[in-house]
Amino acid sequence: MIDPIILQQGSDWRAQAEVFDEIFFVFLALGTLVGTIVVAYTLWNVFKYRDDGSEPKEDFDAPIVGELPTGQGGPKAKKLFLSFGLSAIVVISLVVYAYGLLLYVEEGPDTSDAGNIEITVEGYQFGWEYIYPNGYSTRGEMIVPADQRIDLNVTSRDVWHNFGSSELRIKSDAIPGEYSSTWFSVSSEDVEAQGGEATYRVECFELCGAGHSAMTGQITVLPQDEWEEWYAGTQGENTSSVDSAGAGNASSVDNAVIRGAPA
Amino acid sequence: MSELPPTTSVKRWLVTTNHKDIGILYTITALFFLLFGGVLALLIRVQLWDPMNQILSGLAYNEAVTAHGLIMVFWFLSPFAFGFANYFVPLQIGADDLAFPRLNALSYWMYLFSGVLLSISFFQGGTLSAGWTIYAPLNIPAYTPSIGSTGAILALAMFTIGVTASSVNFLVSIHHSRAEGMGIMDMPMFTWTILATVWMMLFAFAALLAAGLILASDRVLGSVYFSATEGGSLLWGHLFWFFGHPEVYIVFFPALGAMLELFQTFSGRRLVGRKWVIIAICLVSVQSFLVWMHHMFLTTINLEIKTLMMATTIGISLPFDLIVFSLIYTLIKGRIQFTTPFLFAFGALLLFILGGITGVFLGAIVLDYEFRGTYWVVAHFHYVMFGGATALIGAAYYWFPKITGKMYDELLGKIHFVLFFIGFNAVYFSMFLGWETPRRVFEYNPELQIYHQFGTIGAFVLGFSFFIMFYNFAKSYVSGEPAGDNPWDYSRTAEWAISSPPPLQNWPNRPSYASGKLEFVKDYVPDRGPAVKTDANGNGATDGGDTHSEHIKEYPYWDKHPSHASIWPLTLSFAVGVLFLGLTGFRDNVVFEVGESLASTSVTISNPVYPILIVVGLVGLVWTGVKWSLEDFYAPPTEFAERWPFEGVEKVKLGMWFFIASDVIVFGAFLSAAIFVRYNAGWMTWEPLAEPLPGLINTFVLLTSSFTVILALVAARRKSRQGLLASLGATIVLGFTFLGIKLWEWNKEIFERGVTISANAHGDPIQASIYYVTTGLHGIHVVIGLVIAIFLFVRAYQGHYLEDERPIEYFGLYWHFVDIVWVFIFPLFYLF
Ligand code: HEM
Ligand SMILES: [Cu+2]
Ligand SMILES: [Cu+2]
Repeated sequence: MIDPIILQQGSDWRAQAEVFDEIFFVFLALGTLVGTIVVAYTLWNVFKYRDDGSEPKEDFDAPIVGELPTGQGGPKAKKLFLSFGLSAIVVISLVVYAYGLLLYVEEGPDTSDAGNIEITVEGYQFGWEYIYPNGYSTRGEMIVPADQRIDLNVTSRDVWHNFGSSELRIKSDAIPGEYSSTWFSVSSEDVEAQGGEATYRVECFELCGAGHSAMTGQITVLPQDEWEEWYAGTQGENTSSVDSAGAGNASSVDNAVIRGAPA
Repeated sequence: MSELPPTTSVKRWLVTTNHKDIGILYTITALFFLLFGGVLALLIRVQLWDPMNQILSGLAYNEAVTAHGLIMVFWFLSPFAFGFANYFVPLQIGADDLAFPRLNALSYWMYLFSGVLLSISFFQGGTLSAGWTIYAPLNIPAYTPSIGSTGAILALAMFTIGVTASSVNFLVSIHHSRAEGMGIMDMPMFTWTILATVWMMLFAFAALLAAGLILASDRVLGSVYFSATEGGSLLWGHLFWFFGHPEVYIVFFPALGAMLELFQTFSGRRLVGRKWVIIAICLVSVQSFLVWMHHMFLTTINLEIKTLMMATTIGISLPFDLIVFSLIYTLIKGRIQFTTPFLFAFGALLLFILGGITGVFLGAIVLDYEFRGTYWVVAHFHYVMFGGATALIGAAYYWFPKITGKMYDELLGKIHFVLFFIGFNAVYFSMFLGWETPRRVFEYNPELQIYHQFGTIGAFVLGFSFFIMFYNFAKSYVSGEPAGDNPWDYSRTAEWAISSPPPLQNWPNRPSYASGKLEFVKDYVPDRGPAVKTDANGNGATDGGDTHSEHIKEYPYWDKHPSHASIWPLTLSFAVGVLFLGLTGFRDNVVFEVGESLASTSVTISNPVYPILIVVGLVGLVWTGVKWSLEDFYAPPTEFAERWPFEGVEKVKLGMWFFIASDVIVFGAFLSAAIFVRYNAGWMTWEPLAEPLPGLINTFVLLTSSFTVILALVAARRKSRQGLLASLGATIVLGFTFLGIKLWEWNKEIFERGVTISANAHGDPIQASIYYVTTGLHGIHVVIGLVIAIFLFVRAYQGHYLEDERPIEYFGLYWHFVDIVWVFIFPLFYLF
């Protein structure tokens, strides 16, 4: 699961998906371990100390109705603090570890070249509009180049949506009046592996109305040169061909785009 | 005061104020809502069977998801727990009843009628469809236009009012009525968790009430808070989650309390590290108010705040670690009996462990970025909340013999547990496996279908298992074996020391722990005079003036029998229900056309039903309120009680303080909302709408009225009827002066400057909304104060309050509070 990919440009870029998978793996491994130990230990003791009808042991001091609680200390309390301390160490170190990677995810990879592409994502009931740096916009499908850092500024035109792609492990709230950001980048190997054009399913992760379920979209990643060619052709245009159907039935158009594409 | 009819009479259940009766009512009503929410859940699961074929439309699905969430969290979980709390907390602390029995009945009826409102909302053009988190701006009429959406929100607001009343009641009861010798650290764990729960409720639900009122104002009056792009959406997020995170512990803690009790009873061991568990519970209660933004990691909050929230989130999981280990170690060296209640409690622990571990995943922000809005979250919170509720099911089996006097069927109980546990994990573990599915979506990625189908099958198993429980309880109630007073070998708490079911008055004699264990003390009761404690030698003990002379003065009705019946809680709640039902359709059916002046403003009423309901509700509210106040209802105070840390505070006063504390949060939320939005809009871009001078005059008017209230109290203490009437009268006149100036100011704003609640000729419409809504909320407080003041005035005229001036004093507390709030409002809306 963990294979830090090195993107084309030779720096140590790691996609959010990589970071996520790593942390998820570590948490899953430790979580399963700790969970299994605790549950197994508990089950074993519950079995061991079951009431099998035999005579109570001497040190068994049965409580009686109406007693005030006593007995707060004893050897068990020591054990209690020991286990508590151990688990606290596990939890805290996990989170400190994850925090280091959070700082990376927040910043995004360090890219000296000015090639970052900033795309504004605007959610609406029920679809996504992508506005490119040159003012051109598409609906339903975002087309981006491989090997480049894509910065998304996510906002909404009407209600609260949440833009996300599970496969790319990116997600960002789309809130009216606010801009939240995230970033991603896809290597050209991945694009090639998908046959020269990589596609990723986009979904809405915040309930936004009757069409929420169908509020899907797609991110298409093209090789650099192909993308540049496409992008050059958009200069001066203001709306995409997809959009020509008009905003009124935009969502059905988006769906048509998506349904046809392999997710 | 009317007599309490027998349990076989329907009337009994309408008028009862006895905590045990009300506990039963809560439990049964909550189980009804469990069925209701459960049916909706099955609808959801059926829809998820196939990612392409649907039985519900998108809108209907959203309604089902929303109503399911709201019902399970609000109308099932907490009320179910509070059924037990009502029944057993007074028993566990050795009290006769809750501190305010009528208020307790009121809470129940508010709960019931709010549930009725919610049910009606389905038929008002469809209920709310914005999710149980009701995010903005989907929650405003532009996006959820149905009247039923407003209905659901008002139902929630009404529920919240009931909860607040209930929190105050439990707080006073637990702090004020513990039997002699039972210090706060000696309370049984179930009572402890309820205490922590109601403390959180007092503040958390106040925040929800504020959020609900603002939303209701947006929907009914037309203010524009949540459609404002100046942070309107985030405002809802903050308000909701400030409530929402404590809420998850509010629903979990009673279940934890059940676990703590049941683990001890069925292992015969005492809780390990009891003191530390209590400390952990208190810590969690405080910390729960400091983590809310971990639900908002993907919004635009900055890294510093995210880091802080991550730290507090991890911080709050640590006390839970300790509690879990304490539960586990308690079992060791015990004699564990695998009865049905224990199985459920133990199952709850296992489920909670899994839920807790997956919660830590969510606390790590990078993981949360991906889990947010997916079935991972859904699975997590079902494991913790419903997993917790599993212990409450155990509690139902545990206490069934006490409540009914009959034993349930053990075999059926175990079958229930097995099916429940299998079904539970089938539904919710499959959600972890298919976690990439977005929440509240039914057209999901087909690759994940297998998990959802598995879950749907599990859901039906889970649902079916409950019918075994219902059958078991019904059958056992009719023809079960008599259970005896104490069917469990190792029970400790006081409810097991009395008969099953317990008598109306709970105790044979006064319960006392003064000797270190429960004893029933026979107090010597002279013919006319308060109880006198007798020590071992039969001599009246003189432990401070507190018990004797003080009590005679404080409680002039000491020789009366406690009351157990009143019809007014029911009627008052009903009136509120009618009022709220009327409000749901107000905006759609009453249209104001603002003209040049008040006279030329026209009102068009398209459907008179709703306005009529409003008027009927309001009249009913005032009428029943007066009836309530005049009713001769006697709830005896606990004479010998442990009261730390509130010794020396009389119970009504204590209740008043708790109520004010929660109202502080309500106003705090309104003022924070004002500041938050203004900050987002750019602080300096707003000029105050209203002129400072009238505001300043009003400030003086209100402060003066605070002074006259003090004079009224002094006059009452001096037994001067004249003085009392004069100063009360002055207070009323000043109050009306304040309102008059206020109305004059509003009139000017509306007709001269074109500033209404939804439009602003001089700037942001949201600024106008905030101005009207915040000062309006304060104005409503003034109006309520005036209604009470007039009531007091009439009674004073009839010669009351000279012997017992406490009502004047408590009214004064409220009135001062309202004045202090104005001191905060004034600079914010008139000066800067
Ligand atoms: C062990 C400690 C816990 C941690 C660290 C934790 C952490 C979290 C986090 C970070 C979220 C936000 C997820 C998101 O929306 O992206 C969350 C959601 C939630 N948690 Fe927990 N949690 C814990 C225990 C609990 C408990 C004890 C309960 C209730 C009994 C609970 C109930 C919930 C609920 C209801 C939600 C989701 C609400 C919603 O979005 O509808 N959690 N938890
Ligand atoms: Cu959506
Ligand atoms: Cu939370």
